[in-house]
Amino acid sequence: MKDRKSLVAVVLVAIIAVVAVGTSSARTTSHRGGTLKLLAKAAGGTLDPQVNYTLQYWQLYQATYDGLLAFKKAGGNEAFTVVPDLASGYKLSNGGKTWTFTLRKGIKFSNGQPVTVNDVVASLRRIFKVKSPTAGGFYSGIVGASKCLTTPATCTLAGGVSANAAKNTVTINLTAPDPEFTYKLAVPHASILPASAPPNDAGTKPIPGTGPYYFASYNPTKQLVMKRNPYFKEWSHDAMPDGYPDEITQSFGLTVEAQITAIENGQYDWTLEAPPADRLTEMGTKYAAQTHVETLTAFWYAPMNVNLAPFTSLKARQAVNYAIDRNALVKIFGGPKLAVPSCQVLPPGFPGNKPYCPYTKNPGTKWSAPDVAKAKQLVNESGQKGAKVVVISPDDEVEKAVGVYLASVLNQIGFKATAKTISGNIAFTYVQNTKNKVQINVQQWYQDYPAASDFLHILFGCESFHPGSDSSINIAGFCNKAINDQMHKALKLEQTNFPAANQLWAKIDRQVTDQAPMATLFTPRHIDFVSKRVGNFVFSKQFYWLVDQSWVQ
Amino acid sequence: MLRFVARRFVSMVFVLFSISVLSFLIFFATPGVDPAARIAGRNADQQTLKAVRHDFGLDRPLPVRYALMMKKLFITRDLTSYVNRGAKVIPQVTQAAPVTLSLVFGAAVIWVIASIAMGMLAGVFRGTAIDTTVMIVGLIGISMPVFWLGEVVNLITQSRLHGSVFSWVPPLGYVPFTQSPWGWFKSLLFPWLTLSILYIGIYARVLRSAIVEAQEEDYVRTARAKGLTERRVLFRHALRTSLIGFVSLFGLDFGALVGGGALLTEVVFGLHGVGKLTFDSLQNLDLPVILATVMYAAFFVVVANAIVDLVYAWLDPRVRRA
Amino acid sequence: MSGAIVDEVLASPGGDLAVAAASPWQLARRRLLRNRVALVMAALLAVIVALCLCAPLYAHHVAHVDPFQSNLDGTTIVNGKRVPVMVQSTQGLGLGVTPIGPTWDIHHYFLGADEQGRDVAARLLYGGRNSLLIGTAAALITCFLAVLIGVVAGFFGGLVDGVLSRFLDLIWAFPVYLLAISLSTVLIARGISFGPFHLTSGSLLLPIVIIGVVYIPYVARPVRGEVLSIRRREFVEAAIGLGASNWRLLWNEVLPNVITTVIVLFPLMLAIDMLTEAALSFLSIGVQAPQASWGTIILDGQDVLYTRPAVALAPGIAIALTVLALNVLGDGIRDALDPRAKLRRTDAEKQ
Repeated sequence: MKDRKSLVAVVLVAIIAVVAVGTSSARTTSHRGGTLKLLAKAAGGTLDPQVNYTLQYWQLYQATYDGLLAFKKAGGNEAFTVVPDLASGYKLSNGGKTWTFTLRKGIKFSNGQPVTVNDVVASLRRIFKVKSPTAGGFYSGIVGASKCLTTPATCTLAGGVSANAAKNTVTINLTAPDPEFTYKLAVPHASILPASAPPNDAGTKPIPGTGPYYFASYNPTKQLVMKRNPYFKEWSHDAMPDGYPDEITQSFGLTVEAQITAIENGQYDWTLEAPPADRLTEMGTKYAAQTHVETLTAFWYAPMNVNLAPFTSLKARQAVNYAIDRNALVKIFGGPKLAVPSCQVLPPGFPGNKPYCPYTKNPGTKWSAPDVAKAKQLVNESGQKGAKVVVISPDDEVEKAVGVYLASVLNQIGFKATAKTISGNIAFTYVQNTKNKVQINVQQWYQDYPAASDFLHILFGCESFHPGSDSSINIAGFCNKAINDQMHKALKLEQTNFPAANQLWAKIDRQVTDQAPMATLFTPRHIDFVSKRVGNFVFSKQFYWLVDQSWVQ
Repeated sequence: MLRFVARRFVSMVFVLFSISVLSFLIFFATPGVDPAARIAGRNADQQTLKAVRHDFGLDRPLPVRYALMMKKLFITRDLTSYVNRGAKVIPQVTQAAPVTLSLVFGAAVIWVIASIAMGMLAGVFRGTAIDTTVMIVGLIGISMPVFWLGEVVNLITQSRLHGSVFSWVPPLGYVPFTQSPWGWFKSLLFPWLTLSILYIGIYARVLRSAIVEAQEEDYVRTARAKGLTERRVLFRHALRTSLIGFVSLFGLDFGALVGGGALLTEVVFGLHGVGKLTFDSLQNLDLPVILATVMYAAFFVVVANAIVDLVYAWLDPRVRRA
Repeated sequence: MSGAIVDEVLASPGGDLAVAAASPWQLARRRLLRNRVALVMAALLAVIVALCLCAPLYAHHVAHVDPFQSNLDGTTIVNGKRVPVMVQSTQGLGLGVTPIGPTWDIHHYFLGADEQGRDVAARLLYGGRNSLLIGTAAALITCFLAVLIGVVAGFFGGLVDGVLSRFLDLIWAFPVYLLAISLSTVLIARGISFGPFHLTSGSLLLPIVIIGVVYIPYVARPVRGEVLSIRRREFVEAAIGLGASNWRLLWNEVLPNVITTVIVLFPLMLAIDMLTEAALSFLSIGVQAPQASWGTIILDGQDVLYTRPAVALAPGIAIALTVLALNVLGDGIRDALDPRAKLRRTDAEKQ
């Protein structure tokens, strides 16, 4: 070497580099290992990521499956950002109607097969073949989708999806530009699976994936087991980070009380279920370090069937809104640390939300107290006084309590109400079908992805109302042409001017709230209760607790 | 004897058939129970629903659907659940059976021994404080529902006193006997005690009154006259005939429990038995599993009652087999 | 019964002829009145029933509450201070709301509040009405039908026994909870009509009939077993051979023994029925929120078990007391009705 100083510099840099690499791997390797033991009351249905629509398994798919794009695996609002995942990037053309994705090289499925463009095309077709619940709702904008929806078995998405093996790209053509398409490609229904995956719902048979874990076994009455994917090499820490535990299990069957006790005893590490009301105090005091409370973009509400007496009357619906003491409901949910009263559709902090509450003693932006006198007056004016009302709720503890409380309020203002419960497993489809003549029920809605349309258009748009069907998510049966036209306007505006669109959504939020097809109750907070040994708790607002990012040793 | 078995077999087929048809009809008469939407997923579109319904054969007439389901259950034995796609029903039942059998047999042993002891104590010392105390203890057992009692037992053994007195109590759940006999015993001890408390109260009471009556029967007096000691009188003669009521109830209860009647006990203690399977299938309205568990239960009810009828003849030789 | 009177005369010291002239019922009543323990129990039962009937009085005039209205924001007075009925936790993370516990003050939440802030003591009294009504009615239906079926099956044997026994098997193996879930879902929106009866899901007739029918085998099979035993006794067969009518045999020999079995089983059935009623209420059949029964209060108490165990305990104790009283009273009645329990003559001696 000619220059001695530069030699020293090079050596120093090398030493520092080695030490840095050494300590960082020591940081991850020191917590690596162990088995993370999760609990749930019951299994979550099919394991097929393109069919399953439960939060229970979407939380596990974060660590097992990838799409072309993904929601960033980070905490807080960062989690709403969509980042490239199996695709290294994409280009828009044709006025936003053509999306060209470049696939990363060198990624393998958990069965050792490499990920190719053929797998991507097959997976997108498979969304229709397995009759994914969002095939129509999310992916009907792909060219060729309408044919796939009518004859799913022979779905080719001709003209919609094509691959170029030489350039390693996949091209998707849409019938119209869709700014929400990035979100739609980031949800598990758009997971990229091997082309050899079965063309129907795989049910209990696990499908290989690209994530750091794979599903090793699934017995829906006992346990689900995930093990490390031996072929996984981290390619993007934001999109799909490596995980700490060597094994993750989810066991089914214990009652919720027993689950909380098991976690307190350190026998298990976490439960999916909301804690029972009578354990909250001890969790908040004795086990405060293990209790994590997070705000959610969700709301609890009571849709009122606008096509069925007495809620055909606007005054009757508004009366219900005025009479409900949202503080009492907050108490049922566990106190002001766990729920915040709300009157409108969009949750606080959500794009398009502008605080608005007309149904309180001092109307303005916040709810303060119920106005029972006004409610009684409205009931009298509506001509519906004395009407029989049945409040339906699922038979889980909190929903049942909310239902009983609502019936009590309805009785207070002049109706004749009773509260009835149905098994939680059929309640959701039961209340959607107009044939069952449900007048008012207790409901919750959590976002699919962060867009106002996901709340307003999906829940109160005319297109979501299907009389006589078990799948009619516009439970209130609300169809107001003027408001619906505004919603279409806002959806179109999203393609060009997102902030303006959000302003319009805020206006729509007020209009819907004024029409009161529902009584919004509160914005819930989410509790995660973990055992003492669980460390590094990270909560993503999109998919909740990042299961594999916590360590157990 | 052969004629007895043959006749009972025929009537068993009849009962199983009737129960399965009734269950099938009740299920489909229930509104909101259409599995298609629940299988298809949240907010599925109409075309998806139609396709799913066709996949499951839900658009065919009722008798065809029934026949198909029975064929899958008994002949091809590949009936799958509506809720857990692809999960076969029969293996679920066969895996759950040993758990329920362990639970019920253990509880039965405890309650029979305890109720005989208590019943005899109360019957022999009739009218005294012992009688009243025993009876009160027994009655407390039947006044609290088993789900409450089980939760309280868990509250004490798993939560409040788990660090001290009950630290040896294992986590809730079943430990197979083949895996660890001692673990099996520990995991079932409190479920046994909880399940048996209800029945001890009933059986002690029934036995007590039967003993009291039988003590006055003529043949007892004859036995006394013959010079047999009081204890032998009681055991030999009085007990045998007075056991008719006891045995009838036992047949009914044991038969129902083995078939999955202990569902609340299994749920509270996290035991994956046939009862838990029944409970989950009812909650999910999962027809294939409901049918399987209902018929499994009916089978044991019929068998238990048939055995009881045989036992009558042995107990009281005056009763010739009906 | 005629033989019994003769026994009584022969047994009583001095053989008072005036006693022989009294009817069996009067004799029975006199024997019952001499049984002090049974009288105490009868009084206890009367007190329980009276308290339950006075539920509206208690709720309006003593406790000043509406036990059916949710009262989550309500307040009450404890030790002279006004306190909220639902207490918010302020320690640690401040999670959870706990109802107040028993105050032992009959004017203010004597037994504390439940998870909706309602007065448990007032609900307990109202609940007793529903529980006692449903439990008693169902148990009566069960015992009546069970005696009918059991006696006919055991006495006539053969094909009749075969058919009736299969019918009992069918009832016992029947998936009651499936039926209950189905019924409750059907009845949510509309009722069903059976002739003059219009049933809605809140109708108490539903749990009474369902529970009454479901437990028929539990009483019928022991009864049938007893009748089988009696029927085959030599003297009975001899009597039949001699031409004695079935009715007389049934009345004189079969029924008295059967009544004993029923008297023992009836209070036990009452307890079982009150608890089964809770299960049906949970499935929305019968007593609906905000109405109460002892069973539903126990269910409500489950939700606050870890913080307020008293809520579930109180109705359990009520059930236990009622059943205890009935048991002992039942024994007393049986002893009074049938002196054969104390003095049994052999059948040969009678003839």
